[in-house]
Amino acid sequence: MNIRNKERTGNLISIQDSLVKVRFKDDVIMGETAEISVEGKLLQGEVLQISPDFKNPGCGIAEMQVFEDLTGARIGDSVEFKGTPLSVLVGPGLLTSIWDGLQNPLYKLSEQDPYLRPGMHAPALDETKLWDFTPAVSVGDVLKGGDTIGSVPEGHFEHKILVPFGIKKCTVNEIIGQKSVNITEVVAIVTDENNQKQELKLAFRHPVKQPIPFKERSIPRKTISTGVRVIDLLAPVSYGGTVGNPGPFGAGKTVMQHTLCKYAIADVIIMAACGERAGEAVEVFKDFAELEDPSTGESLMNRMCIFGNTSSMPVAAREASVFIALTVGEYYRYQGYNVILLADSTSRWAQALRERSGRQGDIPGPEAFPMDIPDQIKGMYQRAGADSGSGGSLTFIGTVSPAGGNFQEPVTQATMDATGGFWGLSQDRADAKKYPAIDPLAYTTSVYDSFIPWKDREQILSTLHEANGIDQTISTIGLKKVPIEKYILFQKGQTIDFCVLQQNAFHDLDACTRPERLNVINEAVQKLINSEIAIPDPNMDDDELKEVIRAKFDELRQWWRDWNMSAETEEQIAALPSHIDQFVFEGEPVL
Amino acid sequence: MIKKEINRISEVGKALISVEGNPGVALNHVVELLDTDTNQSLSFAKAINISENSTRFQVFNGTGGLSTKTKLRMHEVPLTAGFSYNMLGRTFDGIGQVADNGPEVIFEKQLETSLDTLNPTVRLVPKQPLWTGIPMIDVFNTLVKSQKIPIFASPTEPYNRLLSQIAMGAQADVIIFAGIGLKFDEYHYFKDQLSQSGNIDKTIMFVHLAGESQIKGLTLPDVALSVAREFADQGKDALVLLTDMTNWSNILRNVANYQDMIPSLQGYPGSLYSELARRYEVAADIEGAGSITIIGATTLESLEDPVPDNTGYITEGQFFLENGKLKLARSLSRLKQQVNGNTRSDHRPIMTAMASLLADAEKAYEAAEVGAANDAFSQKLLAYRSDFIANMEEPFGDPLELDAALDRCWEILKRHFEPTETGLSKKLIEEYWDNQN
Repeated sequence: MNIRNKERTGNLISIQDSLVKVRFKDDVIMGETAEISVEGKLLQGEVLQISPDFKNPGCGIAEMQVFEDLTGARIGDSVEFKGTPLSVLVGPGLLTSIWDGLQNPLYKLSEQDPYLRPGMHAPALDETKLWDFTPAVSVGDVLKGGDTIGSVPEGHFEHKILVPFGIKKCTVNEIIGQKSVNITEVVAIVTDENNQKQELKLAFRHPVKQPIPFKERSIPRKTISTGVRVIDLLAPVSYGGTVGNPGPFGAGKTVMQHTLCKYAIADVIIMAACGERAGEAVEVFKDFAELEDPSTGESLMNRMCIFGNTSSMPVAAREASVFIALTVGEYYRYQGYNVILLADSTSRWAQALRERSGRQGDIPGPEAFPMDIPDQIKGMYQRAGADSGSGGSLTFIGTVSPAGGNFQEPVTQATMDATGGFWGLSQDRADAKKYPAIDPLAYTTSVYDSFIPWKDREQILSTLHEANGIDQTISTIGLKKVPIEKYILFQKGQTIDFCVLQQNAFHDLDACTRPERLNVINEAVQKLINSEIAIPDPNMDDDELKEVIRAKFDELRQWWRDWNMSAETEEQIAALPSHIDQFVFEGEPVL
Repeated sequence: MIKKEINRISEVGKALISVEGNPGVALNHVVELLDTDTNQSLSFAKAINISENSTRFQVFNGTGGLSTKTKLRMHEVPLTAGFSYNMLGRTFDGIGQVADNGPEVIFEKQLETSLDTLNPTVRLVPKQPLWTGIPMIDVFNTLVKSQKIPIFASPTEPYNRLLSQIAMGAQADVIIFAGIGLKFDEYHYFKDQLSQSGNIDKTIMFVHLAGESQIKGLTLPDVALSVAREFADQGKDALVLLTDMTNWSNILRNVANYQDMIPSLQGYPGSLYSELARRYEVAADIEGAGSITIIGATTLESLEDPVPDNTGYITEGQFFLENGKLKLARSLSRLKQQVNGNTRSDHRPIMTAMASLLADAEKAYEAAEVGAANDAFSQKLLAYRSDFIANMEEPFGDPLELDAALDRCWEILKRHFEPTETGLSKKLIEEYWDNQN
């Protein structure tokens, strides 16, 4: 897309919610942004469709969505086309930032007004902050888009300064020496492939719908320690992987996102709060700032940036917010860092597309979503991935908010198809306050490697499956008719669920389980599954025996939960497998 | 300044009118409808859809009886709401006009009703509990200042009684009552309750009765919330009661239908979620100012209906009322973690333990229906379940302080279980099991 010098303008001829039609004379580019002048404010929009103007020869009509509230707009208001598509500013200073869905920094805006008024804007990155630039190229060097011209330290990161990806080939004419500069200062001048001089700065804009390339795309192999046991054991995700996390409201999606923010091991965490409650994003940037990054010990906010296009903000900017967040994620991946993008919620993003296509009068697909919504969802998740060339990765974990909690709806189905992992949250588990409510037996899958051997994972899953089957049987025919050995299996399943899968996200020790501890737990679980259970007196009748077995397991569960909440030293941790040994060998075997 | 006028309506539909051409009205700006002959004011209307060829308006007082000869006078501003401390104790309609036959109110200022989003950085993380004396709320789903939370109930449940009970005890400076599609007796009930409890002088009622103009019902929450926000901006803690948001959503659906919008689920417009969110998100604890707490009512046939479903994703939990009881299973306060960690040491664990046992008990209850709950432990669970429903899920009993409510939890557990059966830690059992009276 060309950046043009000539000013191209148009005028509003129709206004409906966030959708406007603009009559233009010259030419208009599909997807370009424009500014609409409404009562002295400049509102941003983007071109969605271009059609002929039959009544006015020589003119055309551009249909646009506007990212801000249009109250006060009139027919005839002027529109200026900008020539560039929606883009995001990338450069040092991204980390710790909190923006709205269009990359306006929220703290800066709050200096103007406590409320977000249409037309309020501020520079995306701090323009006064100085960065210590160290050059890495010399005059005459031939470079291409994405090549490094130097670097600045950003916290404990080395932030590489890149040639913008839009430049195909260029020669360095000038480069500054080691110096403190801000992002508005020129650090190098290059001649591009069209023989044009280009000034390079620490930051540059990149179109959000054009993925930043991989250096060398690779298969996600290295498992992420999320700290959540049910995930790390049974439904793991690797660096560069994709996960859909659907759940009805109240099933614990938010707590899950917050837990991942706090405990997942990553260099950078980007939160796209897309169409969700403002309070949840606020909790992250106000309360989490006091927590420690599990890898560096610094403030958790030092590894984060947040895009907060919350539910009461303009709907049109929701779509933009997810793509902006993705592009920033790709940028850090290109720099060689492991990035996790948490998008909450992709359903709100899809609903924004639905609202728009409804207004445009498109023929609706299932549940009135645009017909191509599955392709759009796939396209979005495809931008995640591992990059062995840079050593970085972008992991995309998207929550899904299915209408009525029904996983058959279009967005959940398309997400299932698009992602490598799927964490289905269950209403039943949430009702029973069994958190995290990820149901390992339904709608939970993962193609990624776990921290435990594949066969152990299968073993746990099949035990849970069988125990669940027995549970169903007990509910339908009663406990009396269930054989003892089946009852023991049921109790084993209950124990794994209660002591391992369930986890208290609000308890300092229990909230996060790292791989070493997880392996000890797995050792205990495998022992429990594979051992016959001894009971004190095999001469009791079946009913009494079941009571004794239940009591014995109740005790084990209480012991194990206490262990979850208290075992910290190596010795205390090692007590778990030996406690299981003791547990299974007390007295004579049942059968 | 002479206001520009338009002399003819070209199209009159349900709640909507259009004029031909482009009279220069701006989006969301208000016009006044006047009788051409007498110049008497008939209604106000809002421009919602503007093109070169025609402009469409929502008419606040409805379109019945409107002549095509009606005159439109342009006011060049969006809908505003009057604000004054003199509004306390009074009743207004959905566009903020006096509706109680009392004297006119002189407003100190006119407020915008666009409900612009509060900058998230100005929000405080809510940390102050609001105690209600209802054990199911205080113990299991603690309410927090600035929370937005609806009561979910079928239309025959006593949800207004519960709403009123929570409100009357609430620690708020100002109560804003926003009733949409109310039956007259419901309005009367609230007015009585507010008077009897001595709260009427700190209350402003905005009331839209069933059968009144739909557009006035549609604008009511915006007007009420703008007034609440002004109080909060002035440092007050405002409590907003929104009942019933299903009525409001149904008006939204009707109007979308009149506007020929493509429906998404069950005829509701695709924007239902965003529209509800824009209202509920007004709830906030504002740095350097006051707060707005919203307790709503959402009537439903099924939890999967679009209105409760969308609401559940927007609000910070819900109180689920069924058969006159506040049900633990589907009730949730998302903010409780902010406040229940520094109450009593048994608060969080006993909440989890009792909930988990109740879930098992529900399973046993289902099994019992087919005669499959024949073991001793299932019998314990069944007895526990009845006890729990009678003593914990009853919202209309005598108010209990938190300590007393927690003690009652232990009593219930002790009546039915052995310590290890509760799943509670050894430490807590030692601390609380035998030390209760």
